[in-house]
Amino acid sequence: MTIAAMLLLVAIGFLAGGFGALAGVGGGIIVTPLLAIYFGLPMHQAIGVTLLCVIATSTATSSQYVERHVTDVRLGMTLELATTVGALIAALVAHRVNRRTLAVLFVCFLLYSAGSMVKKAWDSRSAKREEVIPDYTPENYPVGLAAALLAGGFSGLLGIGGGPIKMPVMLLFMKVPLRVAAATSNFMIGVTAGTSAYIYWGRGDVRVDIAAPLVAGVFAGSLLGARISPKVRPVYILMLLVTIAGWLAIQMIYKLFTGGFQ
Amino acid sequence: MSRRDVAVDRVLSRTLKLGAYTAFALILAGLILQHFAAWGGKITAAGLLVLLATPALRIVVACIQFLRERDFKYALVSFGVLAIVVLAYVLGLQA
Repeated sequence: MTIAAMLLLVAIGFLAGGFGALAGVGGGIIVTPLLAIYFGLPMHQAIGVTLLCVIATSTATSSQYVERHVTDVRLGMTLELATTVGALIAALVAHRVNRRTLAVLFVCFLLYSAGSMVKKAWDSRSAKREEVIPDYTPENYPVGLAAALLAGGFSGLLGIGGGPIKMPVMLLFMKVPLRVAAATSNFMIGVTAGTSAYIYWGRGDVRVDIAAPLVAGVFAGSLLGARISPKVRPVYILMLLVTIAGWLAIQMIYKLFTGGFQ
Repeated sequence: MSRRDVAVDRVLSRTLKLGAYTAFALILAGLILQHFAAWGGKITAAGLLVLLATPALRIVVACIQFLRERDFKYALVSFGVLAIVVLAYVLGLQA
């Protein structure tokens, strides 16, 4: 690989990790399509590489959220019982799913994520930041576990973290405060992505030459992002991410209609 | 009711930090070195392996900490998660 391509991957990782940490969303959603469209990686390989980026984001940011006592470790570990099962099953069947189907599913999830980011940006315009986390007791574990199973499945199949599935359920059904839900989701995605990454790695779908510069960038971006995130309003970063996600969705749809992703 | 557990949080954030910084340092060093020597690629790969091992390591650490606090319910939960992750690792080796 040329040094220019390597530096480009570091830069993509840095932006994905940094934006992800600042806006509280996984940056993985923009990494997979970039690799599939502009670096010509088959979907399975793009997903395998993205899984490592997800582990890097989760490890770097949650080390700081856990230190600040925002993460609910016990809740996270409980839901991980379901996310890992979903991730394992999905990773095992992923290679039987053909590339075009994966690409279609990915576009759907990309649009859904963009929608949930628009909602998040809209909500955060008026909402005050929760300075003190209110006391709470998680409710409705069966619903939470079911959502976690589904999120884990999508993670193993599409290489994403699955935050947009877990977050609303933790907020609405489990009655977990917003910041705790975000931090706990972030905490879980490392173990979830790790579970499916072992399968992708074993199959040879993790390209070390692509993954290494990306992961280095993601680490730098998310360590920095998590450090400055308490001081930054996420609205503009969310809108930027929505724009990028929308653009990538259009590119993927175009490629699908012109016979790509074979 | 506060759900804060300062001891668990401390040991887990240390584990995650250790994994993150070790993997980051190895990958960065490997990426630079591999332009000068072939074995630089091995350092890069080692960094990615540290990255892959960190989630599993943090489950083990959580399990031990829950046992020390005599919180057997969550020690069992951690052990369950670890069992699934180990199963994935074994199936990955055979894939």
